[in-house]
Amino acid sequence: MFAMVNATNGTPWYAFAVQLWSGIAAWSFLQFVVAFIVMFAFILTSAVILVLAERKVMAWMQDRLGPYHTGPWGLLQSTADVLKLMNKEDIHITGGDKYLFLFAPSVFLAPVVAAFAVLPFSPYIHLPGSALATGIIFLVAMSSIDVVGVIMAGWSSNNKYSLIGGLRAAAQMISYELPLVLALVGVIMLTSVLAGLPGFPGNDSGIGTISLLQIAQFQNSAWPVNGTGIGILDFLFKGFTPWSWFILFQPLMLVIYYTCGLAETNRAPFDLPEAESELVAGYLTEYSGMRWALFFLGEYANMTIVSAISTYLFLGGFSGPGVGFLTGLNSLGWGFLGNILGLVYFVLKVYGLCFVFIWIRSTLPRLRADQLMQFAWLILMPVTLANILVTGLIYFITIQGLHLPTGLFLTVLAVVNWIGVFGFIWLVGRVTKTTTNRAQAPAIRAQLRSKPVAPALPLRDGVPTRVALPQEASASAVGAGSSAE
Amino acid sequence: MATNQETDFRSQETELPQEPKSQEMLLNLGPQHPSTHGVLRLVLTLEGETITGCTPVIGYLHRGLEKIFENRTIMAGIRYTDNSDYLSPMLNETAYAGAVEQLMGMEIPRRAQYIRLIVNELQRIASHLVAIGTYGMDLGAVTPILWAFRDRESILSLFEALGGSRFNVNYLRVGGVLHDFPKGWLKECSEFLDQFEKNMVEMVGLLNGNEIFLSRTQGVGYIDPQQALAYGLTGPMLRASGINWDLRVNRPYMAYREIAVNPQVRQEGDCFARYIVKMDEITESIRLCREAIDKLPGGAISTRTPIALRPPRGETYFALEGSKGELGVYFISDGSEYPWRAKLRGPSFVNLQILPELLRGHKMSDAIAILGSTDIVLGEVDR
Repeated sequence: MFAMVNATNGTPWYAFAVQLWSGIAAWSFLQFVVAFIVMFAFILTSAVILVLAERKVMAWMQDRLGPYHTGPWGLLQSTADVLKLMNKEDIHITGGDKYLFLFAPSVFLAPVVAAFAVLPFSPYIHLPGSALATGIIFLVAMSSIDVVGVIMAGWSSNNKYSLIGGLRAAAQMISYELPLVLALVGVIMLTSVLAGLPGFPGNDSGIGTISLLQIAQFQNSAWPVNGTGIGILDFLFKGFTPWSWFILFQPLMLVIYYTCGLAETNRAPFDLPEAESELVAGYLTEYSGMRWALFFLGEYANMTIVSAISTYLFLGGFSGPGVGFLTGLNSLGWGFLGNILGLVYFVLKVYGLCFVFIWIRSTLPRLRADQLMQFAWLILMPVTLANILVTGLIYFITIQGLHLPTGLFLTVLAVVNWIGVFGFIWLVGRVTKTTTNRAQAPAIRAQLRSKPVAPALPLRDGVPTRVALPQEASASAVGAGSSAE
Repeated sequence: MATNQETDFRSQETELPQEPKSQEMLLNLGPQHPSTHGVLRLVLTLEGETITGCTPVIGYLHRGLEKIFENRTIMAGIRYTDNSDYLSPMLNETAYAGAVEQLMGMEIPRRAQYIRLIVNELQRIASHLVAIGTYGMDLGAVTPILWAFRDRESILSLFEALGGSRFNVNYLRVGGVLHDFPKGWLKECSEFLDQFEKNMVEMVGLLNGNEIFLSRTQGVGYIDPQQALAYGLTGPMLRASGINWDLRVNRPYMAYREIAVNPQVRQEGDCFARYIVKMDEITESIRLCREAIDKLPGGAISTRTPIALRPPRGETYFALEGSKGELGVYFISDGSEYPWRAKLRGPSFVNLQILPELLRGHKMSDAIAILGSTDIVLGEVDR
């Protein structure tokens, strides 16, 4: 559209306007607008649904019912909440930086909404240009801008507790971004190995992709290119090959990415910035009404994004039985059905992962601030770096060194990574045990030095027997000696 | 001795600390805060995130209970003991009634003693459930509190069937208890105990082995046993520091002379040990309830005493093992139907005094963990 702005001599002065109009009136711009509206609607409804889902699911886990009266089974509760928040008084602070205060919720929400641009919702429903080819880098950039919003909110609240809370939240978000990005690097390495193989997108082996649509295609191309002859198998498995989903080859990276996503979105067990029982009020204190709602919408949208990215990178994205077959028929009706199916599978997977978010929140207690930082820097960072190293090593040994087939590389990688998952769990347990042993050591030493104060009763079958102890004869039982005058 | 405080405690009145030095910050963990321990105010001096000083300010829940006792007959005053430690009313009532009985030299019927034991142990379970549930919630685990309260609901409905009210039951009288068990109560109680044991397995599974919970509670808030004895701590706080002192064992009273208790002692002295002691005490209380139900004797449930009971002139101190420690009543009677003085020794009041010592050097988040593990109830602290 802007390519011919440098007008040569002889073009009329309104040439620029004509070009601009032809750009806007084109089909691709209309597609862009429709896609944007669809995505924005999806994000907002997703956040609204998640608010209610969280309350209901947490309630069921806690042996109670959750919202019950507003609408059947409480389904209108979120709507009621949104309406209430919109009607609340919009309080402006007087002392601090007024415009920073007003803009902070938008600065927090906007990058999260923008991050949805990288997602292909189904084979056809995505932004023109195959769902933003610079997928992963754009995503990381957006999650970095989130931190700015938090710091703005904390600073402009003119409240030392909000400032401390905001800085703590920002430190947490920044610390967990590094392992998050490094976890994604493992996936990119996998795509670069798989590129160039028959049936997989990409032309050269060694050049992977950061576009989410292509990564999803990488995971679902393990079916023979021309299909087998059997109709039902083709229907089910064309474009749906769960045996080549990256969760099988890099599960440790899914675990780490998901954990870092928990920390990015300030969800339990990393919800120190939002906790009520911790003292520091947090960066949200001074916000009320719709501004507060924007922060929370941002948080739930962030949750959705993390789940969506996990789906795309590890669980095959929108693939499911029938999607690839129907969209490959080149017919409008069947293609439409295939897209709807793809959307359904995508939504199912994303909400499945969001359910895990809610599950984790209702199960785990909160990490302390310094433990949180230690976990990010001392455990997650080395593990992700080690994973990159190990993936590269296995690649060099099996493919470059021994010229083994790619399938063997994948098998070795899968075995090593699955061992790594259990090793990671063991490592976290060991580190916890070591820290607590070290913390408890002086106590145990002191206890072992001291002598017991009162004699213990002799036990028989685990039940103490009543033996008359020497000082029991004068013990003050009811009715025995009292000091009545 | 591990105390760094000035030993001349008389010079430390309950004043707020002076204007802090330039790097320190004065933070008010105000009378109202979401860590549901009641209206306790902690004025903390922070340097960065480390606590350098703490002054608890109490009295926000003072209702003048001990003065009220002086203007009520003993039977009417029993209802006010319920308000002292509002999470374990039956234990408060037992202490007050027991003090009067001890002053009068009265031995209550055996069945009444066993009923009191059953009710006390159920109350202890209820109180510990609140302590554990709120402790988990302070640390961020939002589910165990609801499971704990669900089980506590069963206990409270048992109390409602027994005495007419869930919380402030007003069930005990000097000389025994008010009613006998209604029909089917014992069966329902046994069923509750069986079901509750299964539920306890779930709750234990959620918290005990959780690395996050362990790393937030282990090694935090260590109390030296000598320090514990010096401050006069009792109850789970003392037993978690390795000192085996349980009034039901060492100074047995009522039916505890016949049914023996297994005191639960831990050596580590940190918040986790206090938590485990409470969990183990719940299990022990379940066992005691079952044993008492099995061995329940027949007979009268009360020695009738007049409504306006006049105990003989004299004074006595009777203490029992409450859910938080040694719960005692020092009762002075002048021969009339109104007590001359009834002082409640609230264990939470005594246990609270170690808090400034304990919090120093810890971080803010640890303060919440430590405060939760001391299990103070402000009704008992302020009376």
